[in-house]
Amino acid sequence: MDRTTARFLAPRLVALATILVSISSGCAVNRYQAPVSTFRDKTHQTIGVLSDFYSSRNTYEIDAYLQTVAADSKLEVLETDSRGNPTPLGRPVFSPPSIKARMDALNLIGIYAGRLYDLANTNAPSGFQSAATTLGDNLGNLDKTFQKLQGTSDPTANKYVGPISSIIGTIGKLYLEHARDQLIKTAVAEGAPQVDAILSQLRDDMDNVFSKEVVSGAKEKLATLVNVYNLDRGKLSFEQRRARLTEIKAAAGEASASVGSAPANLVSSMMDAHKALVRAANSSDKDKPASLAAFNAALEAWTTQIQTLAGQVKLLLH
Amino acid sequence: MLKVDTTTLSDIINQCFDYSMDGRFSQLQRTAWLADGKRLRGLLINLLSAQFDDGNQAVLDANDHLSDLNAKLANSTAALANVAQTLSDVATLVGNLDKLLNVAANFL
Repeated sequence: MDRTTARFLAPRLVALATILVSISSGCAVNRYQAPVSTFRDKTHQTIGVLSDFYSSRNTYEIDAYLQTVAADSKLEVLETDSRGNPTPLGRPVFSPPSIKARMDALNLIGIYAGRLYDLANTNAPSGFQSAATTLGDNLGNLDKTFQKLQGTSDPTANKYVGPISSIIGTIGKLYLEHARDQLIKTAVAEGAPQVDAILSQLRDDMDNVFSKEVVSGAKEKLATLVNVYNLDRGKLSFEQRRARLTEIKAAAGEASASVGSAPANLVSSMMDAHKALVRAANSSDKDKPASLAAFNAALEAWTTQIQTLAGQVKLLLH
Repeated sequence: MLKVDTTTLSDIINQCFDYSMDGRFSQLQRTAWLADGKRLRGLLINLLSAQFDDGNQAVLDANDHLSDLNAKLANSTAALANVAQTLSDVATLVGNLDKLLNVAANFL
């Protein structure tokens, strides 16, 4: 190699080496992997707790009804009462399709978190293509479920239709992209508003419907046990009184837990973590470390909340 | 669409249950509070999902009734002094809310 050629090649080789080092270090540092994995895991954990809560609403009401019957020997167990109205035993208080639709909406958030996890943990995003058809079918069916509910007896179903339709589109787009960071940024930027809309609607459901149901239900249970104890106490042995009082103590714990709106708080802490994820995905390279640290802090707070709130929600399951 | 004020109704129900466990009332009165709380809760569960046409006068009247009764119940001294009247007011509310369900559409 002559000196002219060497002079020509040297700066180019340095530039090429710099580029290669940049690329390799960029590949080695997957800054989303850990927090997005935690986000996926905590999302699934939260969904599990909330799904248990939703799916137990009707058995909760059956228990409340049967307890009222148990407390009053004059009452018969009936599927339809003397005025012709169905009891919780005769007809579910909350319609199963509406409960299922809400659980499916929660699962959709789980799919969103799962896709983000896939994007953060693989070097071959194109491999997602194989799952696309099944996922698309599932999401399409959920969208139809809500549209059907909207057309029949569920006036809040329309609030889910728009966000779900958009998420279907967003997740579909994920399969067409190949750069991980860009995919995450795109997924979060386009999916986040819809995910937030669904979570907000779920939280409103919790506040406006299920919180009132469980707070009054837990108080009814406690008041019934207290009333029956006070009426029966003269006929009870010491051991029987102790057993009844233990039941009353448990009911008081449930009443106390119900006031805390644990299911709604669980959704709120999930929303907080998701907002931090959005900020991290949208931040500039310069701000990325700080925003990812904030995201990790929100995930930690959420993790702590899950431990506490899941225990409280468990008290509300029957 | 118009809705029954279920937040105030929930407050009333919880107050009924509280009074059913309040030793200042006689056992008979406590049993009556419990029975009213139970009946109101049964209505609440249906009314949580019920919607009505805008301007439905029966719903507007029921919401006024709920506010008045909630204020009365919040004052335990007055509730104790006028327990028979207050229990009668609760019974009237139960009847009115029961009628409302006949003209509502449920979603959950």
